[in-house]
Amino acid sequence: MLQAIETGAEYFIGIFQEGAAWFEGVVVGIVPLLIILLTGVNALIAFIGQERINRFAELAGREGWQYSFIRYLALPVVAVVALTNPMAYTLGTFVPERNKPAFYDSAVSFVHPPLGILPHVNPGELFVWLGIATGIEAAGFALTPLAVRYFLVGLVVIFMRGLVTQFIVDRMMARRDAANAATA
Amino acid sequence: METLNRTLETIGKGVGGVVGKIYQAGRDTIDVVIRTVLPFIAFVGLIVGIVNGTGIGELLAQTLAPLASSLGGLLLMSVIIALPVLSPVLGPGAVIAQVIGTLLGTQFGEGNIQPQYALPALFAINPQVGCDFIPVGLSLGEAEPETVEVGVPAILFSRMITGPAAVVIAYFASFGLYA
Repeated sequence: MLQAIETGAEYFIGIFQEGAAWFEGVVVGIVPLLIILLTGVNALIAFIGQERINRFAELAGREGWQYSFIRYLALPVVAVVALTNPMAYTLGTFVPERNKPAFYDSAVSFVHPPLGILPHVNPGELFVWLGIATGIEAAGFALTPLAVRYFLVGLVVIFMRGLVTQFIVDRMMARRDAANAATA
Repeated sequence: METLNRTLETIGKGVGGVVGKIYQAGRDTIDVVIRTVLPFIAFVGLIVGIVNGTGIGELLAQTLAPLASSLGGLLLMSVIIALPVLSPVLGPGAVIAQVIGTLLGTQFGEGNIQPQYALPALFAINPQVGCDFIPVGLSLGEAEPETVEVGVPAILFSRMITGPAAVVIAYFASFGLYA
């Protein structure tokens, strides 16, 4: 009887010991670097200042397809890296009305790919990257190549996402305008 | 004498400003770490403990590991997560992406999944990113209500295409990685 209780207690506490070991690994191995890195980038952004970022956003907000690269690539990157999640989406203010959904889609899709290099963009959702990354590290592989590729593929994906969403928005707005014209 | 005073004053103010900004950056950082990062690590730690300590982990490993060990499986995962009915529900706080990511991570760590699948997996767990936040995000960009009306379904539909597409791009971009 006593034996059974002891086994049960061991099993019970074992669950938490398992979690505690994982917690210790992450807090000791990752949090100190994260804190110093975050402090550095936060200070840098404070030195650059919001006005300079707004001026760039105005440039990116011009009408025309040739500004797609700025609208769905350069501006989302600057917005996310400089203003971080969720303030990044405020730069949508400078984008023409019909481009706003695609800009948001593009920007919001970039709040995780930089996490391996620039964790300040979204420290609250670090484990979208870190969950898989700690596993890769535990398997004995270097993280930097994965972090760099995650960042670069992120650039390709957000640009593609901006274009696809813009295509869909254009179709839907045209259909809605046609319906409005028909009823009017 | 007066120029010297003025120079010293300028230097003093400049240094003070720099130190103040860095100090404030440190304060903001510690705030974020204590308020959001550490609580989440505690939350995930408990889940990891339950999953590994009870043996659910092995069960999950048998289902997740094969799914994440092939391009087809990862595509299937991204399609399911990107379904317009599911994506806004799975979005908040990226909790689902983070939990699935951590579970997959333990499988990568034990060698049950080949490391070259890490990059496509990062995109497969995340096609729903921001889908819970579209109206708020658009309002932050001062979008008109009519734009929000079109924008929400447009983004949700777009993810059905761009979610799996991102996995394919990541799959081809990981050639030569950990090979």
